[in-house]
Amino acid sequence: MTALDPVPGTAPNFAHASEAELARILDYYQVEWRYEPRTFPILFNLDGAVVESFAPDFYLPEFDLYVELTTLKQSLVRKKNRKLRRLRELYPDVRIKLFYARDFKALLLKYGRFDLAASLSGEEGQARALAATPTLEGGSPEGPPPEGSPSSAPEAASIEGEPAIGSAAALGQDVPRSTRHGRARRARRRRRAAPTVA
Amino acid sequence: MHHADLTADVAEILVSEAQIQAKVAELGGRLSADYAGRELTLVSVLKGSLPFMADLMRAISIPVTIDLMEVSSYGGAATESSGLVRILKDLSSSIDGRDVLIVEDIIDTGLTLNYLVRYLTGKAPRTLRICTLLDKPARRLVEIEIDYRGFEIPDQFVVGYGLDYGELYRNLPYIGVLRPEVYGGT
Repeated sequence: MTALDPVPGTAPNFAHASEAELARILDYYQVEWRYEPRTFPILFNLDGAVVESFAPDFYLPEFDLYVELTTLKQSLVRKKNRKLRRLRELYPDVRIKLFYARDFKALLLKYGRFDLAASLSGEEGQARALAATPTLEGGSPEGPPPEGSPSSAPEAASIEGEPAIGSAAALGQDVPRSTRHGRARRARRRRRAAPTVA
Repeated sequence: MHHADLTADVAEILVSEAQIQAKVAELGGRLSADYAGRELTLVSVLKGSLPFMADLMRAISIPVTIDLMEVSSYGGAATESSGLVRILKDLSSSIDGRDVLIVEDIIDTGLTLNYLVRYLTGKAPRTLRICTLLDKPARRLVEIEIDYRGFEIPDQFVVGYGLDYGELYRNLPYIGVLRPEVYGGT
C-alpha cells in the first residue's frame, strides 16, 4: 500500500455531493478512481514559494486522466478555468477534464437522477455532501481516520474561491471522518466556512 | 411532461431521416469493403441501437451474423439492487475467434462502452471494433477508439431513431433535440 492508496475501511470526505455521486457512477461502471491524489502548484512568488495550487477532484489511473467537477454557476467558473489553464501550461503532460455544473446535471438527467440533478448545483449540494453516506469502494463511511495517517497533499497555500462548506458541527452532525488526502486543505476550508446552511 | 404528439417535444431536428439513411449506406459500404472475405458479427447494444442495427445490417453486402446484448444503466433499478453494472442480456452465441463489431446508438461518457469492451475482449474475439451512429464527446470520461462514426454531435439531449427519454421517442425517424422543459433541463 502506498501513500496514495485509501486506508481500508475508509472513504473520502467529499467536499460536494456531486463528487460523491460521480464516485458512485465510477464505482458502478467499475472504473478505478482516486480522490484528490495530487496537488499541483500553479503559482509561485518571487522567492519561488507556492502561493496557489490546484488539486483536481478525481484521478482515473486506468486512463491517466484527472477529472475536476465544478458545481458553480457557469458565470462563476472563470477562476476555475484560469486554474485549469495554468495547470495545462505548467504540466502539459497531465490530462484533465473539467465537468461544468451543466454537464454534470445533464449526466444526472441522463441517468434518471432527477432529484439529484436539481439539488446538486451550488451551495445546496455542499450541504448535502455532509449528510450523505454514500456506499463507496473502500468501505464504510463510519469511524475516525487512522491515527498517524500521512497526508498526500503538501502543505501548500491554496487560494480557493469556491463557496464555503457548511460546518458539520454547526449542522448538528458528527464531524465527518476525514482522510489523509488533503486534510490540511479541508481544515483551512472549515475555518473559513459559514456556519449556517438552509 | 410530454405531449401526446411526440414531435411537439422536439425543439429541432439535429439529423434528418435522409441524413441518417445516407450515413448508414456509407458506413455499410465501408464495412463491406473493410471486412471483405470475412464474416462479421454485429453486436447491438439494446435498446437504443436497434433501428441503427437493423438499417446497418441491410446496408452491408458481406455475410453477417447478429447478436444482441443489454447492459444495465446507472440510475435504473439495477443501481439499487447491486450497485454495479451488469449484463442484463448476454450474447446468445460464442464470439471466440470471430470478427466482432459493437453497434452503438450513441457514445457519451464512454463508461458503458468501456465496460462492454472489457467484457467482450475476455471472450477472445479475433477482432473487436466499434461503430456508433452518434458520438457526443463533450462529456467523455473514457477515451475509446471509435472505428466507425456516423455523426459527431454537440452536447444536447437527443432522442429519436432508437434513442429515448423515459422509453419514449425511439420511434421518431430522425435525431431530434428534446425540449428542456420535457426533461427538466435548463
